[in-house]
Amino acid sequence: MTDLPIKISARNVDVFYGAIHAIKSVNVEIADKMVTSFIGPSGCGKSTFLRCINRMNDTIDVCRVTGDILIDAEDIYDRRVDPVQLRAKVGMVFQKPNPFPKSIYDNVAYGPKIHGMARNKTDLDEIVEKSLRRAALWDEAKDRLQEPGTGLSGGQQQRLCIARAVATEPEVLLMDEPCSALDPIATAQIEQLIDELRSSYSVVIVTHSMAQASRVSDRTAFFHLGELVEYGDTSHIFTNPSDKRTESYITGRIG
Amino acid sequence: MTAHSTKKHGSLLVKDARTQRRNNAELRFRAYGLTAVIVGILALIVLLVSIFSNGISAFQQTKLMITLELPEAKLDQKGQRDLDVMKKVTTIGYSKVLGNGLIDQLDRLGIATDLKDKDVREILSKESAATLRDVVLADPSLIGTTVTMEFLVNGRIDGYFKGRVDRASAELDKNVKPGQLDIADALTEHGLMYTQFNLDFILAPDASDQRPEAAGLGVAILGSIYMMLVVLFVALPVGVAASIYLEEFAPKNRLTDVIEVNISNLAAVPSIVYGILGLAIFINMAQFNQSSPLVGGLVLTLMTLPRIIIPARAALKSVPPSIRDAALGVGASRMQTVFHHVLPLAAPGILTGVIIGLGQALGETAPLLLIGMVAFVREYPAAFTADAGLFGEASTALPVQVFNWTQRADPAFVERASGAIIVLLVFLLIMNALAIFLRRRYERRW
Repeated sequence: MTDLPIKISARNVDVFYGAIHAIKSVNVEIADKMVTSFIGPSGCGKSTFLRCINRMNDTIDVCRVTGDILIDAEDIYDRRVDPVQLRAKVGMVFQKPNPFPKSIYDNVAYGPKIHGMARNKTDLDEIVEKSLRRAALWDEAKDRLQEPGTGLSGGQQQRLCIARAVATEPEVLLMDEPCSALDPIATAQIEQLIDELRSSYSVVIVTHSMAQASRVSDRTAFFHLGELVEYGDTSHIFTNPSDKRTESYITGRIG
Repeated sequence: MTAHSTKKHGSLLVKDARTQRRNNAELRFRAYGLTAVIVGILALIVLLVSIFSNGISAFQQTKLMITLELPEAKLDQKGQRDLDVMKKVTTIGYSKVLGNGLIDQLDRLGIATDLKDKDVREILSKESAATLRDVVLADPSLIGTTVTMEFLVNGRIDGYFKGRVDRASAELDKNVKPGQLDIADALTEHGLMYTQFNLDFILAPDASDQRPEAAGLGVAILGSIYMMLVVLFVALPVGVAASIYLEEFAPKNRLTDVIEVNISNLAAVPSIVYGILGLAIFINMAQFNQSSPLVGGLVLTLMTLPRIIIPARAALKSVPPSIRDAALGVGASRMQTVFHHVLPLAAPGILTGVIIGLGQALGETAPLLLIGMVAFVREYPAAFTADAGLFGEASTALPVQVFNWTQRADPAFVERASGAIIVLLVFLLIMNALAIFLRRRYERRW
């Protein structure tokens, strides 16, 4: 493994949904400015773990998280941490494109607005343009900024969601199966975009597609039945897995 | 032969017995459904036809034009036009003047009758003398002059013009004589008795049992409007706040489960129970005025709250969770998430629920009977007075007025009651149309 600075570090993380033990003692260290992918069969807890990193699980009443998750060496489950502030730092893109039923402009501008990042309209215009450019949507959207975001195609909507997420200048970008609702062409565009985003963010992506994990990520974590089975350089995991279960999964025998 | 053995089914061109049975069952089911719909529509048509045929004539009223002298000797003996003195002449005095005016008018026109003068006077409504008195007291300079004015006629004469009374029924009715109908016909020929649109039915207050022709819905409509304002301004914010809290913020535990079940139960509680509750709380404990739109509105608010909360929660629940995730994901607080994203999307559904709840409250009668809104109210309630407070003056309400009128003996009140139902239906129709309009206008897809 290369020696980039550690951005996120999880120690003995357990997650319970009521009586169900969804994540079992996961330890993982995620490097900055790298793409890390979580793979594993359905229900293995990879999305659950991803949602712990920006405390989206807080919205589920029965969900309980124990252990420590540190971002920049600060425990995000500390009592003093306000999840709202955390989520400005850790942006998220969801499985299904979910733009707000507002204009493209308002979709991107919403985050900066509520975080007071723009002093005036010019600032805001700048942020919107920068974010849309970063999400490779500017050329397609610049003439229709006032049209509803829901009128875009699926792939465009997902890029709009990425633009919305990067507009708040996060340091970490979480992506929960961002391509599973998209066609191959849109998927390729998003993958290319992820490749570009790695220079600025620590990107964590959950994916069902092992091909995608091997294409976009630097490191891969394999989850199975709530456990982190194996974590390492992507090339290593896919060519020479050290755990039997990993090998079975990537060769298609479990999943 | 092997090819033949794979053929397990008969010809597709012939329906087998099983398919035939299934198709028949489906046909029967469709027939039941269609019958139910048709029965419903027929019942609605019968209802509407009966209400409209009885009630539409309430919007017409027969009036009589009389040219009469206003003799100073009778109406202001002292001749000083002092209002306080003039007020001592009661409606009885005015009714003699008016009656004589009518008899003089008949003489002038050469309409002969063998009725006694008393019977001739009874062609006019008992309300007419009061009308004349009000006019004279408002403008004392009319005394000593000759004026031409319109007056209401007796309910039976009015009924004659509306087909409710004819000569055969008049023979049997001690309240009307065939001779009066002859006079009415003669006056109609001279163009002095006619039927015209009855604005007073909508604007005038109620009238006593003896004068259905003067009874109007003004106080009831105003009372209903006041009550709807109370319901709107109390039930809307409370109901919406409660549903947002329960849906978006409240933890899911046993307490909220109990609250949830009880809200559904409250929506099913018979409305008269709310009347008893209102009587106990608002009148006996809080000492608000009986019969006041304030109390009526608060009782209806209690009744309407669960009926607003349930659809409001359903509307909030129907906003896809992905929108909440999206807002939370960019770092919106829960309150920002609700107010910036969830509430605007749920608003059409919430508004529809509120308006339908208001519509139910508008048509509600039972709880209002218990808090005294069934009283006979002759005066318009003021919106605010120093001693009665906001909406504290006695009033009545549209559905209660219907109930009230259907209990009175004079058949003319049946017409009034049906007319009042038409007015009520028009209000409900307007509110439902508004609900549909708002839903169409603000519904957004995602």
